[in-house]
Amino acid sequence: MKNSVQIGPSDTISAFLLFFIVHGAQIGVGIHGFQRIIYQDAKQDAWISVILAGLATHIIAIFMLKTLEIYGSNDLYGIHQDIFGKWIGNFFNIIYISYCSVAFFAVLRNYIEVVQTWVFPDLNTWFLTVSLLLIVMYAFTGGLRVIVGVSFFSAVLSIWLFPMLAFPMKFIEPRSLLPILDSDFSEILKGVHSMTFTVIGFEILYVIYPFVKDKEKAKKHVHLGLFVTTLIYLAVMLVTLTYFSGAQLTKTIWATLTLFGVVKFPFIERIEYFVVCFWLLIILPNLCLFIWSAFRGAKRLVKVSANKFVWLFSLIIFGVSFMFKTRPQINTFNDYYSQVAFYIVFVYPILLYVLAVAKKKFKSHKEQIE
Amino acid sequence: MKKCCVILLSLFLCVGLAACAETKLLERVGLVTLVGYDFGKEEAVETTAVVRQVSTELQSKVAIITAENATTQGTRAKVNNRAAEKIMSGQLRGVLFGEEFASAGIGHNIETSLRNSTISGAMLLAVVEGETRPMLEYPYPEIDDIGEHIYKLLKQNIASEQVVSSTLHEVAHDYYSVGRDVAIPLLNRDEELIEISGIALFRRDKMVGKLSVEDSFYVKLMRDNYHAGSYEMKLKGEDLPTSLLKDPPDEINVVFDPIKTRKDVKLVNPTTPEFDLHITVQVRLLEIKPNINVGEVKNAEELEKVIGTGLSAELSRVIADCQEIGSDVFGFGEFYRSSVRHSELTEEKWHAMFKEMKVNIDFDVTLLRSGIFE
Repeated sequence: MKNSVQIGPSDTISAFLLFFIVHGAQIGVGIHGFQRIIYQDAKQDAWISVILAGLATHIIAIFMLKTLEIYGSNDLYGIHQDIFGKWIGNFFNIIYISYCSVAFFAVLRNYIEVVQTWVFPDLNTWFLTVSLLLIVMYAFTGGLRVIVGVSFFSAVLSIWLFPMLAFPMKFIEPRSLLPILDSDFSEILKGVHSMTFTVIGFEILYVIYPFVKDKEKAKKHVHLGLFVTTLIYLAVMLVTLTYFSGAQLTKTIWATLTLFGVVKFPFIERIEYFVVCFWLLIILPNLCLFIWSAFRGAKRLVKVSANKFVWLFSLIIFGVSFMFKTRPQINTFNDYYSQVAFYIVFVYPILLYVLAVAKKKFKSHKEQIE
Repeated sequence: MKKCCVILLSLFLCVGLAACAETKLLERVGLVTLVGYDFGKEEAVETTAVVRQVSTELQSKVAIITAENATTQGTRAKVNNRAAEKIMSGQLRGVLFGEEFASAGIGHNIETSLRNSTISGAMLLAVVEGETRPMLEYPYPEIDDIGEHIYKLLKQNIASEQVVSSTLHEVAHDYYSVGRDVAIPLLNRDEELIEISGIALFRRDKMVGKLSVEDSFYVKLMRDNYHAGSYEMKLKGEDLPTSLLKDPPDEINVVFDPIKTRKDVKLVNPTTPEFDLHITVQVRLLEIKPNINVGEVKNAEELEKVIGTGLSAELSRVIADCQEIGSDVFGFGEFYRSSVRHSELTEEKWHAMFKEMKVNIDFDVTLLRSGIFE
């Protein structure tokens, strides 16, 4: 292929790190409060929606990997240019770059909202934005390997959060899950659709795939990452559904953080404060990976250095952050964002795969004639 | 390298110049450990707050501050006006409601507490017989910190399964659930003594009745399983077969400790509704007066049967009492909701059905052992 990505051996990463990248890109701010949104659609069967959404991520990942395998060593931006030609391809690239930027902003703003509500009600948005952006810039300028390192450490260092679920389990009532399948299938599917905001992130595959050293092993680690994420979501959902009663859950904005409210240690009584601050480590890979994939795309469009890009990007994000002040604004933004993300992450990859296969057939056919 | 320095420098500047979050030094704040809500004389709410001020000296001071306002958060501002140190609610461990206040509804208070991120879900709730203010303001000679005392009293009794658990989370759970009503421990002051005198029964968010400590055993029996609690029951002398005891007295007292229970609830008829309730009880017999030798197998079996019928009769009485006042603190509605598909159960619907509800009770009692001396 003419426009495939050229990578030096010092830039490649091992396939097993894909596990941490996929997992790290998926888990972010969505897990804070996805329960009530799914519950509104699927009631006590919300956990089935979570499983189905997890299944959907596996299927889409298969399509993504198949598409990428056709091209060997190329990313989404190159594939676009190859399939649609330079102009239309670049148009699609711009859409994808904007998607990454919006995703970056969504993670950033939602996290800041949580910090402002739980820990520091009197801290300004701009201050939190600037400090987060500076940290992201610091990681981004280190290059891909540093970003992947951040993903790795973020996953490893936050393992301890998972067993904390045992504390709220003291209060659970498994009976709340009954009767199973009380909701219609359409309601459960609606719940799956609402999971979009929470499960997306694995589309990073499209951009990071060329950088993987041993590509034949990539499949295994990607699916393992997706599986573990689904498992975590499922566990959190099951505990939430049995811990809260129905109407209580629909009123709890960040159910996961409220779950942490009952965790008590002799040395720290209110662990959720600590968890909210610690969450910075969990959203950091999110932010780094989104800004990085936006940068990979921008590089295809115009000649821009990483430094210039990161300053410009941060400046824009900083500017936009002034536009969202209240909770309703952020909620509306999240709704629109997850609507769009559903089409970009869950519908478009299938379309792209079909087009890529068609293009390949067409090409080999042409070569045969010649 | 230079780039990193620039970024790090700006980060430091940013933090140094702008990160002035409000500091909350322990010596400069007053920690509210307990609040009591009553009806105000002039305004809607009267709040009595127990404020603990940690000082650099050994002893920390405890102040009791009262204020009235239209809203609970409004009284907080007024309490603050009367306190030497800024009031913080992060250490709030207990909320008490006056009986009259609870009868008018505590739903709004539950909602407000849940909304506030500084208030922990593990905070305990209780209802006070009469008003909370006299209980908190009374000069107890033995108690230094009334807030801490009441919290420990409740916590200890909940942990040893003497009374239903009433953390903010659990109360909110029941308040928002369709098929179970709120039950909260009831406190009473007798001169210098504060004791748990039973439980307060709610219907939605309004207190509608109360049960004694003895009867609240059956409520807890239905809500949770016992693992380690203890219970003293009275058997009627006439229920006892003559083979066990010749000319028995009118009343025979039996004390179990520990007691382990498991229950199995089945909805047999969804229209009435009618439940089959099977409860397995395993106990150690701690005391029986007058003494009966339970070392013999035949005696033990007879006694088990009598205890079973005694427990059944008491439980049906307590259930009937609660049906009369229309408070399903047992959670039968939850069993109904979870066994009937597409029930679309609402609170009104359930409360109407609850009055007509029938329960067939069957106890299966096992005496495990009776100590080291027969």
